[in-house]
Amino acid sequence: MSMEKKKNQWLLDRRTFLKATGAGIAGVAMGTFPFESFTLDEAMAAAAKGGETVMPTFCGMCGPAANCGIYAFTKNGRFTKVAGMKESSVNNGSLCPKGHAAPQWVYSPERLKYPLKRVGEKGEGKFQKITWNEAIEIIADTLKRQKEKYGPESLGTLSPARRTYSEYVYRFLIAHGSPNYGHSGICAMQRSFGLHYTVGAWPIPVDYGKSDVILIWGRQPIYSGPAMGDARAIVNAKGRGAKIIAIKPTVEPDVGLADMWVPVRPGTDTALALAMLNVVVNENLIDNEFVEKWCYGYDQLKDHVQKYPPTWAEKITGIPSEQITEIARIYAMAKRAGIDFGNGVEHTPSSNDVIRAVGILIAITGHLDRPGGNFLGPPISKMPRPKSVHLRERYTQEWVDKLVYPEFPKPFQPFVEGTSSAYYGLFDSVLTEKPYPIRSIIAPGSQSIVSTRGSKRVVEALKKLEFYVVVDVTRTADMDYADIVIPTATPYEIDHPFECGGNWIMARNRVIQPLGDYKSIFEFLCDLGVKMGYGSDFWNGSMVDSMNDQLKPFGINIDDLRKYPTGIKYEMVPIQYEKYETVFKRKSSQLSGAPFLPQGKVAIYNTSFKEAGFNPLPEWKEPPESITGTPELTKKYPLILSDYHTSSVYTASWQRNVPYLREILPYPMLHIHPDTASERGIKNGDWVRVESPYGWMKVKAEIYPGTRPDTVMILHGWWQGCKELGFEDYPLLDGGANVNVMYSVDPEKAFDPIVTAMASQTLVQVTKA
Amino acid sequence: MSTQYGFYFIKEKCIQCFGCEVACKSWREAELGVRWRRVHNIWYGRFPNVKTASASISCMHCVDPVCVKVCPVGAIKKRAEDGIVVVDRSKCTGCKTCLKECPFSAPQFGEDGRMQKCDMCMNEVDLSNEFPPCIETCPTKALQFTKMDTKEKITIEQEIQKLIAL
Repeated sequence: MSMEKKKNQWLLDRRTFLKATGAGIAGVAMGTFPFESFTLDEAMAAAAKGGETVMPTFCGMCGPAANCGIYAFTKNGRFTKVAGMKESSVNNGSLCPKGHAAPQWVYSPERLKYPLKRVGEKGEGKFQKITWNEAIEIIADTLKRQKEKYGPESLGTLSPARRTYSEYVYRFLIAHGSPNYGHSGICAMQRSFGLHYTVGAWPIPVDYGKSDVILIWGRQPIYSGPAMGDARAIVNAKGRGAKIIAIKPTVEPDVGLADMWVPVRPGTDTALALAMLNVVVNENLIDNEFVEKWCYGYDQLKDHVQKYPPTWAEKITGIPSEQITEIARIYAMAKRAGIDFGNGVEHTPSSNDVIRAVGILIAITGHLDRPGGNFLGPPISKMPRPKSVHLRERYTQEWVDKLVYPEFPKPFQPFVEGTSSAYYGLFDSVLTEKPYPIRSIIAPGSQSIVSTRGSKRVVEALKKLEFYVVVDVTRTADMDYADIVIPTATPYEIDHPFECGGNWIMARNRVIQPLGDYKSIFEFLCDLGVKMGYGSDFWNGSMVDSMNDQLKPFGINIDDLRKYPTGIKYEMVPIQYEKYETVFKRKSSQLSGAPFLPQGKVAIYNTSFKEAGFNPLPEWKEPPESITGTPELTKKYPLILSDYHTSSVYTASWQRNVPYLREILPYPMLHIHPDTASERGIKNGDWVRVESPYGWMKVKAEIYPGTRPDTVMILHGWWQGCKELGFEDYPLLDGGANVNVMYSVDPEKAFDPIVTAMASQTLVQVTKA
Repeated sequence: MSTQYGFYFIKEKCIQCFGCEVACKSWREAELGVRWRRVHNIWYGRFPNVKTASASISCMHCVDPVCVKVCPVGAIKKRAEDGIVVVDRSKCTGCKTCLKECPFSAPQFGEDGRMQKCDMCMNEVDLSNEFPPCIETCPTKALQFTKMDTKEKITIEQEIQKLIAL
């Protein structure tokens, strides 16, 4: 980089800084800075200085796909450190703490280095070392036997956050003959479903660059991929004066950046959204022309929302009715306003209702696919799409009928990612044997005991399950129940697959050789596919052939792609707004190809849901336990408990074993309001007992001024120790720090009836431990 | 000295991602428990009008460093040529007087008990033309680095002190 360029940036920055200090911090004008991080040449120069080598590749420390580009440094064959790749259009050279801590994860003493076969009882943790080929053989023999005896649908897989390998898992299931891809039921696809069937598209990102008002609703844009651009978009929007309103139960860094915080009680977003619809409808703050031309069922909505005035919602949500009215007005009356709508709304029995209600709110206020509003689908580039690995063309009605516990009702299967059963439902079927029991589960990158609700039932199911295969990089919470443990390579130890997202495609490069007798998860699925006799569907075991096959639409092969060390970037297609004509006609993923929107309009009154036996309009449903729903419980359990999905230093339930990350958040901390704590004699850092009707945890209290006095919150996924720092594992069930022991899994109360979203709200008491 | 190198921090842009803190640890191979750079969340106000501010703090390489004055063995020096405050670890006795007096709690003590802290990566990167890793990694460029005059530098130190005192 030239000296002059650096100097220019200094000048630019200095100007901003002087404004900041001179004009007072409140008046700071925040510009967008050029990013100065490493290009390939700079990374190579930096590496040469320290006697290191550098490899361009992708970060592997979070998910789902569209990974950040990195330069991985090695010295004497050892992976030492990471820098953000400036050429990447995903992260533009920046990188988060998880990305920087990667070498510690790779060399963790928790790594699984060779395949294991269980020799003791389930749960005992006694294993015998076997070879990769032996492991593949045992799995193939078992699956073949079960397929013959019980049918191929007796196999299920667990899905972690979506990753590139998810498509290979689908491919394996389809080649085998099972529809039972166990999807979490609490992440992304619930929003995708509700919004596809309401406004015809998902995702519907906010046009951040142009919004005057942005509602960040149940979303955490900083803990999930802070280097990926959403966090920058918020900071830049704020810098140019956009008003930001954050709707979530506790203060997180995005709330710190917001102009207004709406501290909604966990699980009550639906009531808030319905009351906002009430205000917008009764004050006629709608876009009449859009409603008339492009919405179906507005009159029914008008009548329906009379049940939900802000005074009604105040009791449920804990938000003053005046504030509900105010935010409804601010949003509806702003010329350019967007709702950044997150995963937080997918954890409640009325999940599909809030998703539809918000979709309707966006539409009737005239903020759909307009400048500064919510796009109908993300901006696209001219990059071709690689050939799909999925074998979607093989789906049939019989296939759908075999689903053991459909994540979405059968008439709506397959949904956009393929057929799916609910993750928790796979375990449920093992215990109830209804409609039939799943006999084998393959669990890649997933820890069911800490990741899904009802941990105690999951453990019972794992004890009863005939055959359990854990596929992971490090020791997992479930591992002691596995029959076979397959160790896999980290993304730093393999040269496949390529990744593409947005407008950028790049080959993955190997940073270091694997540290033991293992391969990648892709190779595991290919090897198993070949052994099962599905070789023709698995490129006869060759990942090079797989990648070349997928790259056909690009007109290049993987060797060609590697000639571009930092990948290829494509031009963006100019943004088009108001794509109603085309988007509202789109065919759904159903086998019939029926459109998502039968009337070719926004489905306010949803005839598709009505025909399938569900509510045509969004309604309110209480969480299994809540202050307003089960007041009789509040004497014993006066506080609401919910949990965070992820954090600044951990991705979901992994990475507690990484010392540089664990140092920052060493203990499971219960966020508790200062008054709530002092009433109980609890001081900052005290160990506390948190008890719900279903279980209890022993965790530390963090006096947290940014939480509702009636609500406590904790990060989910705690169990793993960190040897380097002397932290032991916590118990997986009662007395540990696993929040998933705390919740109801009552089939009548704890699930959304359409999208199987599981409640992560309950009532608790907190006492000093 | 009229100009020196310095960090500056725009709190309105910090998202508390901790990227700077871990980039520092990883690039400088910090021993466990030692934090040359720390990201803080600072609370003020009361529910529901509670607010937060962010701070990313390392050694501020003060214009008038109190640590230099109080060190009983003269182990800490401020370099005239670039303003970097350096510690001669062979002289340090580990008395922690510097930590007691530092308004930013910057001095760190690892296993050997001798003071260590941010040295602006002076031996790692060419500061006239490159940035330390904590700066490079910042997704929102809340943390920046430049040559500045004494007056500006003092203002920055005061701003960070005000932030900590919120």
